[in-house]
Parts: sequence; C-alpha cells; structure tokens
Amino acid sequence: MTREEVFEKLNEVFRDVFDDEDIKVAESTNADDIEDWDSLSHINLVVAVEKEFGIKFSMGETQKMKNVGEMVDIILERTK
Amino acid sequence: MNEFTFEDIASAQNMEQSFSVTVTQEMMRDFLKITGDSNPMHVDVGYAKQNGFPSCLVYGLLTTSFYSTLAGVYLPGKYCLLQEVSTQFAKPVFIGDILTVSGKVAETQETFKRIIIKARITNQDGKTVNRATITAGVLK
Repeated sequence: MTREEVFEKLNEVFRDVFDDEDIKVAESTNADDIEDWDSLSHINLVVAVEKEFGIKFSMGETQKMKNVGEMVDIILERTK
Repeated sequence: MNEFTFEDIASAQNMEQSFSVTVTQEMMRDFLKITGDSNPMHVDVGYAKQNGFPSCLVYGLLTTSFYSTLAGVYLPGKYCLLQEVSTQFAKPVFIGDILTVSGKVAETQETFKRIIIKARITNQDGKTVNRATITAGVLK
C-alpha cells in the first residue's frame, strides 16, 4: 500500500468518525485542526483505524503520535 | 457490585448480565425534581389520556438511566468508565412496569480496554421498550 492510498483510506475513516464529509487530512494534521478531536473521539478514531487496516496500536503509540503523518508511518510499518 | 476486569470479559464469550426494577411514582417525582421536565405527558394523566395513552408516560431518560446501573454495577461493574450510550425508545413505559435491563458484550477493544455492549430493556410482558448500544472503558 502506498502512502497516498493510506491517506485516501484515512480520509474516509476521519469523515466517518467525525461525521464531516469535508475533512481532508494531511501529514501535519493534528487534534488542533479538527474541532471535535478530543480524548474520546481519539479513542474512536484509533479503534476505527485499527479495524480499517487490520492492525493494532500499542497504548504508547496512541499517546505519542503527534500528527496524522506519524499515524501513517505506523500503519505502513504494520501493513508491510 | 461486580468487579469484572477487561481480561475477565475478553476471555468470556459474549458475557451477559441483567437485573429487574419496578418504575415507581416516587422515581417520577424525583426525576421531575432533578430535571425540571414538567411536560404534561409525564405529569398530567388527563393530558396523557387525551393523547391516547392509558396514563402518564415514564420519562424516556428515566428508563435509560438504568443503563448507568447496568454498566456501573453489573457489566463491567466497579471498573466501568461510561463513554457512550446510543439508544432508541421503542415502546412507552408506565408507572408500575417491571423492567428487565440486560446487556451482552458484543465487542472487546484491546488497545483502550473498551467494551461494546448491546443492551435492551423489556417490560413485564416481554416487550422491548428500549434498545441501546453502550460503550464503556474498563479501568482494570
């Protein structure tokens, strides 16, 4: 899977979790950029990403990820 | 109070819990006092009858408040951290109804120790009066 393909899938996940069809995430997108990205929706997001890509994050990873780009790095590593 | 851990629940197959409760006039009075919801459908029998009901309707959110007990006392119990309740009011509830509140674990999410419970409330006639999906974290 290419980085672009991961972003395409992630856009769908974000739109579903945040119920906003206009969301388009980029490498630098973080919780400051999406109004409803709070601690509970972060859990919903991570669980949705795990299901979409068939992977598991560690608790440490979910706390350390600073932006969507870092999330994509982990997804690409896990789906190699 | 139950003290199920995430591991207890994850290792069981679709764990289920239930309890019964009778809705009383006193509960209705207390709910009115707490919320201030004085809608006549809940406090005026004449108004309820005019609108085709045999008596006052029990507050929908009073009925669903028992999901708090289901999660916080029964499933998972002590280690519950309630995150989300999505609910549907399927049929009316009346004072004196005996409700059975039940929940079954439909999914366990390991990363955040979270469970999804499919829950329902049935009355003394076995009719479902409310359905819900409950999301709860499990602290241990």
